[in-house]
Amino acid sequence: MTLLLQYTLIYASVLILVALGGCFSEHSGVINLGLEGIMVMGAMGGALAMKYLTGAPSVVIILATIAASALVGLVYSLLLAVACINFKADQTIIGTALNMLGTAAATVIIKAINTSANPDDVSSVVQYIDAKKSFIVSFGRFDFNWFMLVTLLLLIAAYILLYKTRFGLRLMACGEHPQAADSVGINVYKMRYAGVMISGVLGGLGGIVYITAGVSEWKFENGVVGFGFLALAVMIFGQWKPTRIALAALLFGLFRALSNVYSGIGILSMLNIPSTVYNMLPYMISLLVLALTSKNSRAPKAEGIPYDKGAR
Amino acid sequence: MMEVTLLEDQYAIEMLGITKIFPGIIANDDITLQLKKGEIHALLGENGAGKSTLMSVLFGLYQPEKGVIRKDGKEVKIQNPNDANDLGIGMVHQHFKLVECFSVLDNIILGVEPTKNGFLQKKEAREKIMELSEKYGLKVNPDALIEDITVGMQQRTEILKMLYRDNEILIFDEPTAVLTPQEIDELMQIMRNLSKEGKSILFISHKLNEIMAVADRCSVLRKGKYIGTVDVANTTKEELSRMMVGRNVEFAVHKEDKTPGDVILHVENLSVASKIHKNDAVKNVSFEVRSGEIVCIAGIDGNGQTELVYGLTGIEPLKAGTILYKGKDITHASIRERSIDGISHIPEDRHKHGLVLDYSLEDNMILQRYFEPEFTSKGGTLKRANIRSYANRLIEQYDVRSGQGAVTKARSMSGGNQQKAIIARELDKKPDLLIAVQPTRGLDVGAIEYIHKQLVAQRDAGHAVLLVSLELDEVMTVPDRILVMYEGEIVGELDPKTTTAEELGLYMSGAKNNMHAQAGKEETV
Amino acid sequence: MNKESILKKPAVQALLSSLACIVLGLFAGFIVLTFIDARGAASALFDIIRNFFRYPSAPVALKYFGNTIVKTAPLLMCSLSILFAYKVGLFNIGVAGQYAFGTGLALFAALHWQLPWIVCILLACVGASLLGAISGFLKSYCNVNEVISGIMLNWLSLYTTNMMLTVVKETTSPYTKNIVNVNHSALLPNIGLDKLFNNNQYVTVAIPLAIVLSILVWFVLEKTKFGYELKATGFNKHAAKYCGMKEKRNTILTLIIAGALAGLGAAMFYLTGYEQWQCTQSSVPGMGFNGIAAAFLGGLHPIGAIFSSLFIQHITEGGAYVDKTLYCSQISDLISSIIIYLCGFVLFMKLALNKWLAKRDEAGSSKDAAGTGKGGRS
Repeated sequence: MTLLLQYTLIYASVLILVALGGCFSEHSGVINLGLEGIMVMGAMGGALAMKYLTGAPSVVIILATIAASALVGLVYSLLLAVACINFKADQTIIGTALNMLGTAAATVIIKAINTSANPDDVSSVVQYIDAKKSFIVSFGRFDFNWFMLVTLLLLIAAYILLYKTRFGLRLMACGEHPQAADSVGINVYKMRYAGVMISGVLGGLGGIVYITAGVSEWKFENGVVGFGFLALAVMIFGQWKPTRIALAALLFGLFRALSNVYSGIGILSMLNIPSTVYNMLPYMISLLVLALTSKNSRAPKAEGIPYDKGAR
Repeated sequence: MMEVTLLEDQYAIEMLGITKIFPGIIANDDITLQLKKGEIHALLGENGAGKSTLMSVLFGLYQPEKGVIRKDGKEVKIQNPNDANDLGIGMVHQHFKLVECFSVLDNIILGVEPTKNGFLQKKEAREKIMELSEKYGLKVNPDALIEDITVGMQQRTEILKMLYRDNEILIFDEPTAVLTPQEIDELMQIMRNLSKEGKSILFISHKLNEIMAVADRCSVLRKGKYIGTVDVANTTKEELSRMMVGRNVEFAVHKEDKTPGDVILHVENLSVASKIHKNDAVKNVSFEVRSGEIVCIAGIDGNGQTELVYGLTGIEPLKAGTILYKGKDITHASIRERSIDGISHIPEDRHKHGLVLDYSLEDNMILQRYFEPEFTSKGGTLKRANIRSYANRLIEQYDVRSGQGAVTKARSMSGGNQQKAIIARELDKKPDLLIAVQPTRGLDVGAIEYIHKQLVAQRDAGHAVLLVSLELDEVMTVPDRILVMYEGEIVGELDPKTTTAEELGLYMSGAKNNMHAQAGKEETV
Repeated sequence: MNKESILKKPAVQALLSSLACIVLGLFAGFIVLTFIDARGAASALFDIIRNFFRYPSAPVALKYFGNTIVKTAPLLMCSLSILFAYKVGLFNIGVAGQYAFGTGLALFAALHWQLPWIVCILLACVGASLLGAISGFLKSYCNVNEVISGIMLNWLSLYTTNMMLTVVKETTSPYTKNIVNVNHSALLPNIGLDKLFNNNQYVTVAIPLAIVLSILVWFVLEKTKFGYELKATGFNKHAAKYCGMKEKRNTILTLIIAGALAGLGAAMFYLTGYEQWQCTQSSVPGMGFNGIAAAFLGGLHPIGAIFSSLFIQHITEGGAYVDKTLYCSQISDLISSIIIYLCGFVLFMKLALNKWLAKRDEAGSSKDAAGTGKGGRS
């Protein structure tokens, strides 16, 4: 059971981070369907940091990994920002392109690195067994992961930022009614950039947390198996509000954790359900939840609509 | 207005020789506007005369090709709304710039939030807002959400937004369009108070009565050109309208007396659920429309008119009630069935419902009948030649003007011609019942006259017309009968020949209700 | 009016912007290659573009060209699926899952039930359109964004297909059995086309069928009442509803058709026996996502999609020829995703082009400037 709790918490952390990313982007008025790709890129940045820092002190590894994944996520998210904010491109196409590009680019880069180190190595795998240990503090059978704390802190920070600061008020105004924001002198483009860039940071972080959650190496050809989209489902289920997102993420995290630990849980392993079914569980649940909750969704009113200063 | 002897800087703001050109159109051609300190100055012009462009220039949203702006006699450069705000210029926009899911307080402080280390300090803001609302008699609840309060309250929020920023020059863009006559009176009073306190007010309008009532001076624009500025005390409504339109305008709509015929539309106890609120948008409404009469549903925007029309045309399902059309029960009929049966619908929002803007004019012309054998073969293919000749006939008959005729994209047409296209399409169906919702919204005087003539022609040909209007002038002149809606209910039936704007206003604001008295009478009809 | 610049023609503009996307996409790919290893970048890009033309002997090249078009047919179907839905305002990202599920049903029917090809195709169509129907239903009645439901269904169909096809896999490998060895009647007929491609047995009726279907999709969209309704719904669903079109029904119907096209594509590929399904596959086949690239690159036109599909497949195949000691074959995935990204800018490119044309016209005849102005801009 502790294992279930541990995995639930770590997967919930991933979902919270990425869903908060989506939340900031959408509150600024940009639908970020490219979170999946941002996660992959962030994960790659973090994984490489861990790979090259193996042996360094834990604090250095932790900080550098976080910084690397956040930074790569941020830079990558700029591709979305430029296209959707400045060039008013279709946010769905760009998001989809970023998802494909993320996996393809990460694969190409990792393979290039692997091949240059060893000409026979054509895999897209990065190993980080040792470095990963820096993140774990064991309390008996429960492995506490520093990322859980980071997530909690960021969750609180996100809440305060959205509801208690000038930035949050202005950000949400841009997602609800950009013309109103513009009329009182708020630079809608800048705020939308800020929203997308925050989503890049959080998405990138989510990526590294995800690939280190259950395993010690990652094959980048696989991307992040739809987790970016699960996070979007969490965000919708959480009605674009940080606290609700956290609760929704715990629920989804639980279902994701089941596929890792079901064999250790007496009743479940006795049922003898194929593991594939557990793999399918999060997607099924999210479809179901979306079907039941989307009808009265309170999405930011202006999301998905490029802002054009000239057109009024 | 008598202080002609004052110094040069008697003007709070001056816009001199402003010229703004858009590709293919000169929106402002050498326009001059001088606003004196403490005066209420009206800016009069039709839709499309260039008023909004001029204001956008003043707010730094557009940079003019030519001309200068002076504040207190000194030339200033306004690059963006922040510059305008720094100069103390504020504006209440025609479409409010309010974030619906924010509170009144949040909306007022947005952009000039009091903060400490980046954290919002709402307490200070609240105190200042309460002070201002006391001083100018602008009652608001700072914690209410915009989506929950009335349009009048929202407008007060907009005014408070300007006052909170200590603006000295206040611009009101068509502020009365959404208000009842009583609320308009209140607004006029507020404007007078503001000008007494030394604020300079620019009042943009095309409503002559209001300008005559409140303004000191009036500048007139026409088709992007500056026509002149007059002292309101020394002019007449007719003079102003001549300046605005360039010719004499008839205010009356000509129509012969006519006795209505058979009942075409019979609505009983109709209720429609609301999309936004828990309460129904339309509550238990009953009325009739007969052939050969124009019945007008009057009321302030958002009192259930839109939903009533959606219910009648089948766009939204009914919650309760029955609709009889020519004696036939169409309560559960589909949109298409109603349309085929002879109900035409000129929709409220021509861009949202009325047209497929990316379709050509001809494809828009057949929107209601593309499935008929004339346009679609048995195999399901479109008969393009027939569509073209049909569209050309309508274009000629209804004088719809466009760049390339039938193949013009609807998007590239002017608002008036888009509306004409819709009217052509809907009238050519030879409807027994025409439902026209705000058919003249945003159009110039010529187009308005044309549309009113078409409505009367429908009536004279013995068809029924249900007109939904927010424009007082239209409500008073076009219909044979007025039904007033307030909060989803019909609260009054009035005769436009005998009623007054004031009385109408009392019904529109819910202060009066003559339907309970009539309930017994209705039963026996 | 008569002397309209050729640049103003929508078709020319679409072609130009697609070409711009390709050139820029290849250029970006070149930069990436240079970053990885500058020595072989130019030749690697050349390898990608050259694909089968690398073979000097015409018959061999022809055979490999056959392979390319064998994989182009399913790609074209996926891109038709995308563009058909897109015309109605729907982004059918579920195409990948529909394709996977179609594969699952087609192969299961062929290998387990030993059914003839025509039945296998039909089953694939029906199954994939069912997925489309789910997305459509969720969109129409539950307000669920079709992109998100599509992605969820992609994963669900991948896992389902894996489970289903494990039943018919080889005992020693994760791949499904080869149809050639199990059920000849499930192979698509060659109708003599194999002869044209140096006896490439995989060239089947699927290729002409895909082209016929492109033309059919074009016909339905442009010439029929149904297409008129669908496009009206896509442009403005409120207006479509106002004039009595059944918006919800059309949404569902569109995604059903889109799903059927994807399923058909899957059957048209896997029933050639060219490739077997790997039952441990951990992501949906890229065919569906490449379909997005092909659809947009083709200017969202069914006929344009034929050429863009061929191009995308061409460079994907070409990716296999790059020097493996320096680069990996995913470089072509990278290029096609960059191309999709650039397709997002097409609208902007056209706008910029038109602005430039308008400016040029104005400079030429600044006389009647005010005559054609739009109303309502006051």
